[in-house]
Amino acid sequence: MTHDDTTDHQRPPAEVRFAGELERLRENDTGPRPPGWALSLTAARRFVVGDEALGVTRKFVGDTSLIDRALVTLATSRGLMLVGEPGTAKSLLSELVAAAVSGTSTLTIQGGAATTEDQIKYSWNYALLVSEGPSTRSLVPAPLLEGMAAGKVVRFEEITRCPLEVQDSLLSPLSDRVLAIPELAGPDAMVFAREGFNVIATANTRDRGVNEMSAALKRRFNFETVFPIADFATELELVEAEAGRLLERSGVGVAPRRDVLEVLVTTFRELRNATTEDGRTMDRLSSVMSTAEAVSVAHAVGVRGWFLRGEAGEAADIVACLAGTAAKDSPDDLTRLRRYLEQQAPRRDGEQWRALHAARHLLPG
Amino acid sequence: MGVAFVGVRHHSPACARLVRATIERLRPAYVLVEGPADFGSRLGELLLGHEPPVAIFSYYRDAERVHASWSPFCAYSPEWVALHAGRAAGAELRFIDLPAWHPALAERRNRYADAERRYAEVTDRLCREFAVDNTDVLWDHLFEIDADDLPERLGAYFALLRGESGAGPDDTARESYMAEWVRAAEADAGDRPVVVVTGGFHKPALEALAREGGTAWPGVPAPRDGASGGSFLVPYSFRRLDAFTGYQSGMPSPEYYQRLWEGGPDAAAGALTEAVVARLRGRGQVVSTADLIAARTLTEGLTRLRGHRSPARTDLLDGLVSALVTSDLDERLPWTARGVPASASHPAVAEMVAALSGERVGRLHPGTPAPPLVYDAAAELERLGLDRGGRLAVKLTEKRGLERSRALHRLRVLGVPGFDRESGPDTGADLVLEERWWVAPHDAASRMSALVEAGAYGPTLLDAAAAALEERMALAGADMGVLAAVLFDAALCGCAGQSERIAAGIAAGIAGSSDVAALGVALEVVLGLWRHDRVLGTARSPLLGTVIEECAVRLLWLVEGVRGGAAPADLGRLRAVAALRDALLHAAAPLGLDRAAALAVGRRVAADPDAPPDLRGAAFGLARSLGDTGDTARAVRGAASPRVLGDWLAGLFALAREEVLDPAAAVLAVLDELVAAAGEEDFLVALPALRQAFAFFPPRERETIARGLMERRGVRGSARALLRSPADPMAVAEARALEARVDAALAAAGLTGPTGDEES
Repeated sequence: MTHDDTTDHQRPPAEVRFAGELERLRENDTGPRPPGWALSLTAARRFVVGDEALGVTRKFVGDTSLIDRALVTLATSRGLMLVGEPGTAKSLLSELVAAAVSGTSTLTIQGGAATTEDQIKYSWNYALLVSEGPSTRSLVPAPLLEGMAAGKVVRFEEITRCPLEVQDSLLSPLSDRVLAIPELAGPDAMVFAREGFNVIATANTRDRGVNEMSAALKRRFNFETVFPIADFATELELVEAEAGRLLERSGVGVAPRRDVLEVLVTTFRELRNATTEDGRTMDRLSSVMSTAEAVSVAHAVGVRGWFLRGEAGEAADIVACLAGTAAKDSPDDLTRLRRYLEQQAPRRDGEQWRALHAARHLLPG
Repeated sequence: MGVAFVGVRHHSPACARLVRATIERLRPAYVLVEGPADFGSRLGELLLGHEPPVAIFSYYRDAERVHASWSPFCAYSPEWVALHAGRAAGAELRFIDLPAWHPALAERRNRYADAERRYAEVTDRLCREFAVDNTDVLWDHLFEIDADDLPERLGAYFALLRGESGAGPDDTARESYMAEWVRAAEADAGDRPVVVVTGGFHKPALEALAREGGTAWPGVPAPRDGASGGSFLVPYSFRRLDAFTGYQSGMPSPEYYQRLWEGGPDAAAGALTEAVVARLRGRGQVVSTADLIAARTLTEGLTRLRGHRSPARTDLLDGLVSALVTSDLDERLPWTARGVPASASHPAVAEMVAALSGERVGRLHPGTPAPPLVYDAAAELERLGLDRGGRLAVKLTEKRGLERSRALHRLRVLGVPGFDRESGPDTGADLVLEERWWVAPHDAASRMSALVEAGAYGPTLLDAAAAALEERMALAGADMGVLAAVLFDAALCGCAGQSERIAAGIAAGIAGSSDVAALGVALEVVLGLWRHDRVLGTARSPLLGTVIEECAVRLLWLVEGVRGGAAPADLGRLRAVAALRDALLHAAAPLGLDRAAALAVGRRVAADPDAPPDLRGAAFGLARSLGDTGDTARAVRGAASPRVLGDWLAGLFALAREEVLDPAAAVLAVLDELVAAAGEEDFLVALPALRQAFAFFPPRERETIARGLMERRGVRGSARALLRSPADPMAVAEARALEARVDAALAAAGLTGPTGDEES
């Protein structure tokens, strides 16, 4: 996952970045809070979708109903599973929701091929373990145990990248809401989840998909598919704003040109959906054509234009920069991209489309 | 007493309730309703006691345009309720809007559409403000669930819409006309009240306009001389009501709102949850009790989160989808955006949408006057001597025969029983000029009911058949087989020039199709119809021209995307490229096809090492026939590997076999040279494909090739005899392969040296 926010290299978590907004929401929060929650459902929702009156920014441009369903799910006994293409801001959404619901978004397990149960549940401080034996002092809790004990939301990123048996260690915490620590004796051997505990998992439909999950685990989650931005104008606006910010930081003195960005965003959307705006189907690229990628191409276009020629960048630069994005995964994508430029671009009106078509030979190979 | 204006959203149960309450409270002298004024004298027909949904279908035709539109009513339409409550209160009823044929309504197919472009900006802002996905959700949120202070809220809402978006000249024309009625009714009612039920968007303007101006009753505008048109009642269905899309659509999910109207939000939610579960279980999907509990809990939670007293439509849908879908979705949830749900939607989502859309079909009271189609069909059948029934043969080459055929096909397309074609042309390409039909003689009752139903498509057989074909085409999506059938039916019905929408729909289907061979067949047939067919009258038809253009563009796109190594030649694909070539050669100028772009595609595919050999050969041939001057002999050498050569040649010969016959191109010499130089094994590998390639030549041309070969080799004799080998060449080849293997085995065993009899 990539984040659009790169204002600071040391990226503080959402609850720090938006501490002021959370504070204001808390002060004005009159709605009933589900047990263990830091905010009411309505306040949590306003934190994500924005509230002009309270000076709360809109942080996620997607369907509001998705946020509603996600929050209500978290208030029930099922976990929340966010699935979608890479670059659809699933991780950002999970971070924001965790920050709103629990006030902390840092109880995060990063899934991967090497993730073990230790990193999910708990491990030991071996020096203490050897000198004292198993005790609560020598126990090192991992995010799941911490979240259960404190009644917080635990985030599990890229869950399908973990081996199946590791994923399944979530089963009893999610259904029985209890985690056993057999090494300890007495009441410490069972950690019961406090109110407020739940899990937000994210999974990428490009990697291995959710088919790799066991049916038992799937049943314990409600699935929410996060889609790329539906609306052209919204996406264009976002790309323009984000690219503008990046360009400013790169020392580029001019803002990106609107007509060039329009061509860029249209190209990305059409290649992503494998359909042109007038309904012609095309082959799907195996590379991810996310909004985040569009921002980085727009950034590269601006940088090229400014440092090579002293202007804002034009359609020809898009072609030069696209190759690196669209043809990342397979050389076939390069062919598909070329075919798009050869056959679809000339069907459009506009100076920049003509320039894009004329610059098609800039594609490598 | 004055005038009470009730601004409504069409098809809103909340507004319908408000209308009923207002009329019952005021007991007005007049109830004025937004509806076609030219139907005003027949309002009684609407009150006969039909089972809604029904619609007023209006059609109009003059020298410049053809227009068909519907004014649909359901049980919960405010207009419908206004008429019935008004009648019950003893009020005079009037439709006060301009007739459907009026130019001010020319863009509309659904009079009661509402998602309108002109105030999209305001509603978008409201959606952001209230943090909802779209205007339908916004509407439910604001008006359908919590009914307190509804008039005030509606007033504020519509004032905001109207205040911030300009009304166009069409609106102004309609509003000033409606205001005339209002003033006249007010003057006539004296001290009794008048209730005016119109779209909320018009209400603020009407209130202002009603204050000043004349009070004479306005006339009903008459269509200009020479135009034909009319309005009549037709049964309607929830499916069609929900099928208007984009800016023609009204409120979605009619079945939901029907339930909401009948029993309120909680009953509607309960009944529809049940319906969704029944549908899913009917399809063999597991819906457990735990899932239902989860759905119920989630719906409850969403209802509270969104501040509703009872679950609204999307609370219900959102709860169901969260609980019942346990995988990722390929498509956005249909209720988060307005538009056509994609066909690939998740099955559970598709069933939810279908359950809320419903299958209710309206029924007209038996006393309703029959739609004009019934009379038109009867008159046509009598005029063409088809009313007696029996078996008949129709000659398409005669004028009367063609007319009879078209009438029969139109009835067939409209699904009127009793008209079966037993034989006749099946595609545009065959040369059958006679049709045989069986017309069932005594089937008046079922024919009548089918014609009444089909009356919703149009007033005449021609119009109705064109509209029915349009609908079939819209449902076909990108299925080339169905689209081609619709197209051919359109040609048979003589509707090919009737409807731009058929052309647009087929063009959209082609643009989404990925089947090269099917597109090729379609292009071939359509090109034939477009170039030559004077029997069906389709030569140079603009509809077919559009189809040809779209097919050609789409084929160019698809051809460039085919990948694959050496594989047997795909004849369907080659046929498609050949059809493409014909289109470019014969139709490029009149249809404005881009030959230069096609030539570039041909060149690129021919030079693409990843394209399959047959397609490369075909692309080379395509480029040559479009005027490329590439060196054929050189290209043949380029494709000389034994696994590729035959297939490559098949492609070339399918497109441009004259290249071999042309002595100047020296292709034959190169081929001879390559075949002679091939080793025994290579030759056997290449042989089947080579034979297939040469099968593209008719016998006479094969003889020319044989003669050329013999001349080259300095051999005398009959070229024809060379082509008539006594044994099947494939058997000979197999025998030789077997022999070679035996020899190799013997040699390996040291029993004999390699044989030397290589001369052939």
